[in-house]
Amino acid sequence: MKRIEHINRNLQKRFGGAVRCEERDGCRIVSGTLDTWQQVVAACDLAADKYSKTHVVNDIVCREVKPASPRLPSLRDTALEGDAPDVLVIGGGISGVSIARELTKWKLDVLLVDKEADLALQASGRNDGEVHPGIDLGKGSLKHYYIRRANAMYGRICEELDVPFKRVGQYVCFDKGYLKPLVGLYCLWRKYHDGIEDTKLISGEELKMREPNFSERFRFAISNPSSGCVCPYGLTIAYAENAVQNGARVSLNTAVTAMQVENGKIVSVSTNRGTIYPKLVINAAGVFADDVAAMADDRFFSIHPRRGTNSILDTKAGVLMHSIASIKELSASKTHSKGGGILHTVHDNLLVGPDAVETWEKENTATRKESIETVFDKQTKTMPKLTQRDIITYFTGVRAPTFEEDFIIEPGRRTENIIHCAGIQSPGLTTAPAVALDIEQMAVAFLRKQMPVEKNEKYDPHRKGIPVLRDMSDEERAELIRQNPDYGVIVCRCEEISKGEILDALRSPICVPTVDGVKKRVRPGMGRCQGGFCSPLVTKIIADEFGIPISEVRKSSAESVITYGKI
Amino acid sequence: MQNYDVTIIGGGPAGLAAAISACQNGAKTLLIEREARLGGILKQCIHDGFGLVRFGEKLSGPEYAERFMDEVEKTDCEIRVLTFVTRIKRMNGGFAVTLVSRDGVQTVQSRTLVLATGCRERTAKQVAIHGTRPAGVFTAGTAQHFTNLLGELPAKKCVILGSGDIGLIMARRLTLEGAEVIGVYEAKSTPSGLTRNIHQCLHDYQIPLYLSHTVTRVFGQDRLEKVEISRVDESMTPIPGTEQIIDCDALILSVGLIPENELAETLGVSLSAATKGPICDGQLMSSQEGIFSCGNALHVNDLVDYVSESGELAGKNAALYRGQSRDWVDIHTGKELLYCVPQKLNLQADNSEIVLYFRSRDVLNDCRLTLTVDGKEVFAKKYRFLRPPEMERLTLDFSSYGIRKNSDIRLEIEVKDDD
Repeated sequence: MKRIEHINRNLQKRFGGAVRCEERDGCRIVSGTLDTWQQVVAACDLAADKYSKTHVVNDIVCREVKPASPRLPSLRDTALEGDAPDVLVIGGGISGVSIARELTKWKLDVLLVDKEADLALQASGRNDGEVHPGIDLGKGSLKHYYIRRANAMYGRICEELDVPFKRVGQYVCFDKGYLKPLVGLYCLWRKYHDGIEDTKLISGEELKMREPNFSERFRFAISNPSSGCVCPYGLTIAYAENAVQNGARVSLNTAVTAMQVENGKIVSVSTNRGTIYPKLVINAAGVFADDVAAMADDRFFSIHPRRGTNSILDTKAGVLMHSIASIKELSASKTHSKGGGILHTVHDNLLVGPDAVETWEKENTATRKESIETVFDKQTKTMPKLTQRDIITYFTGVRAPTFEEDFIIEPGRRTENIIHCAGIQSPGLTTAPAVALDIEQMAVAFLRKQMPVEKNEKYDPHRKGIPVLRDMSDEERAELIRQNPDYGVIVCRCEEISKGEILDALRSPICVPTVDGVKKRVRPGMGRCQGGFCSPLVTKIIADEFGIPISEVRKSSAESVITYGKI
Repeated sequence: MQNYDVTIIGGGPAGLAAAISACQNGAKTLLIEREARLGGILKQCIHDGFGLVRFGEKLSGPEYAERFMDEVEKTDCEIRVLTFVTRIKRMNGGFAVTLVSRDGVQTVQSRTLVLATGCRERTAKQVAIHGTRPAGVFTAGTAQHFTNLLGELPAKKCVILGSGDIGLIMARRLTLEGAEVIGVYEAKSTPSGLTRNIHQCLHDYQIPLYLSHTVTRVFGQDRLEKVEISRVDESMTPIPGTEQIIDCDALILSVGLIPENELAETLGVSLSAATKGPICDGQLMSSQEGIFSCGNALHVNDLVDYVSESGELAGKNAALYRGQSRDWVDIHTGKELLYCVPQKLNLQADNSEIVLYFRSRDVLNDCRLTLTVDGKEVFAKKYRFLRPPEMERLTLDFSSYGIRKNSDIRLEIEVKDDD
């Protein structure tokens, strides 16, 4: 643990008295004024202890930062006015939905809200979908505490929720043969000290046999067979649908704007859809988790957003490799995220990236050319055949780390009826199933102090996904088409998606009747033409299904108008 | 299992022409179309100008398609619409074609295949446009679908990137529907579309064309709000400091077409890097025996008349194909040429009337096209100008050029200074 005098000496040395740190209420509060966001991050890093429970709270005024309030939905109604759920989950990312689903094992009124038009629109829908093996996580962190248990849960969870998951294995490749003994020792250490049991070293020849298109210069690799991939937004939606099937409620386009806290207790939560009176609040608000904590008068950590961009490559490039390749830089790197990698997705595309750039903008997911170039410069060293020509699209996500670079999974420190699931960044997708179980326990224990909490006898962990006809045998496919001929009408030629599948998405438990909502659920528009052919057709199907004019169909949010009406 | 002599995949202008000619040449023919109606992209091309070469009159796209649809109706061709090919495998010297439709999954057998699968549009991400992902970014074909097939206005104030023909057509179309077209921006230093379209779609409506400009970034969270436009240098790289921001609610992209050959690739058909279509011989047979290609799947054509012509040729040759052996010899192209189709000659076939299509790489004035065989000039033609957007067509009697198995055939262009 760094001592406060030591921290202030270092801050003085680096920033000449512009910032200082003080310990208050078990937090390290860093305040002062700095020019750039990079300086702010550096100052807070100086004050932070990795994996510590004493968190840095960033109170620095940054001259570079243009204050931006969160983007809020335009919707205003009273649908939730007076609603009094037992549990209010804030955030429809992987954390929030998995917690909501586990809570439905109990007879509880669970309401999940998200300010976006769909689930998984922030980090949970904007990552590479790797189910991590935990090779790079140190003992003592919550990340490490959860990773092995969660990784082992994936097969069962994905089977229950009917989402594709492939344990394709991950390789960390090295081009310097002389490092082999050292890395071998590292693997042994990980195995016996940290319990990462499946890791082993493989030779360059072995690697060549498994992944012939990897660079010739690799001499050996760490192999992590427990590593896998999943569709991150697919899993998020599946969890949420299962929660809804078991009685939870999901309210999208619903933003928490304020909380009324009295005597260390949240009394009410204001939203654009009315005031809610929950017994317990779960903060799974991603990059906004510190803002939600502040609303709850329980601010004891700060999020410093970190942007990353991934490219998606055509399935034609998907044949180049079958696993996950990760670059581990042995140099003492200042960045906290891994150097990105190449991943063969469950949909047989390649995903290349991400990079890691500190930013104050929590919601700026605009892509930049430089990010793509940085990532490709790096990843072509792993696989020389990788080319930007195969890119079909790219996206940016924003991670939500604390300065301690660990998760915060605990009840409020000053406010009693809140549980934080914050600081969730990689490997947060992997750990979510296990974290959700712990938060479920915390929530039930808390609620039992004021009400009886009984088992939900009707709880069914199984959710049936929408059939994926292109993956079926001809016989299975024919049988489904016989039952519903719309399965025989192909709307998206690139991904071979039928009208029947699109209608299934529009009739699913959490219907998001937008072009993007359908795309996230059944993939029309995900292929190489990027919706060029099918987006008017999908728009028309949505309009017909709901009996609305085409001009009322949206891409995603209420303002994302596609057409302006009849000509 | 049903058996056919010729199975044609794609019911657009190429496939329709192929179906008619295959039937006329006595083949039992199956035409497969994935949409509910025949006609392909012509259905949404309601402007005129189709059929000038073929019929000597200006037709709209649907009218042009209808002439062929009427014709195919008169033949014995079996037509299946709303039917999608999921898989093709070689079988018993022919092909097993698996089809999905409302009737289920069915596999039919065919002696030959004609791939008339058309092309798709390049997307915003394929031309490295960055920024947000708002509604209002359309490829020109998508905007055209909304406008002409669904009758919906997709833009009020738009920027068009790329001077490809569909982009030019859409500039005029949206103007006519009351939208403001701020301008057409083209990264190249010369227009990509036909000269006649530059005049009829832009000049006549006072829509400016900005050459050597591109869109580098888009803004707007929900619907597009503005775009950043930069000047580009000769290598089409944006020049820093030349950025300007333009307010608009739509960006319409006409930045190139890519022949659709994913099915062809699964069958091992070799594709040309220049055309992105199958490498073929004068009979339009690809590197794979019994697989023919035509229309925009073969190479992107400028006029539908040529699409139909290649369809007819492919359909006829597929009908007549009986597994004859082939002897391929290359037609090499000089560096001034972007490509020529066909790229090969089959010395075993009748080459007395070979239709050759080509495009120049750059705008060339006063030049001379030459065809040499083993160093000897066998054909030459002078051109006042050649422009990459305008495809050129020649009919040549290759049988008269004394071509032998190892002959060196070259199609080249001399640019003359003293003409």
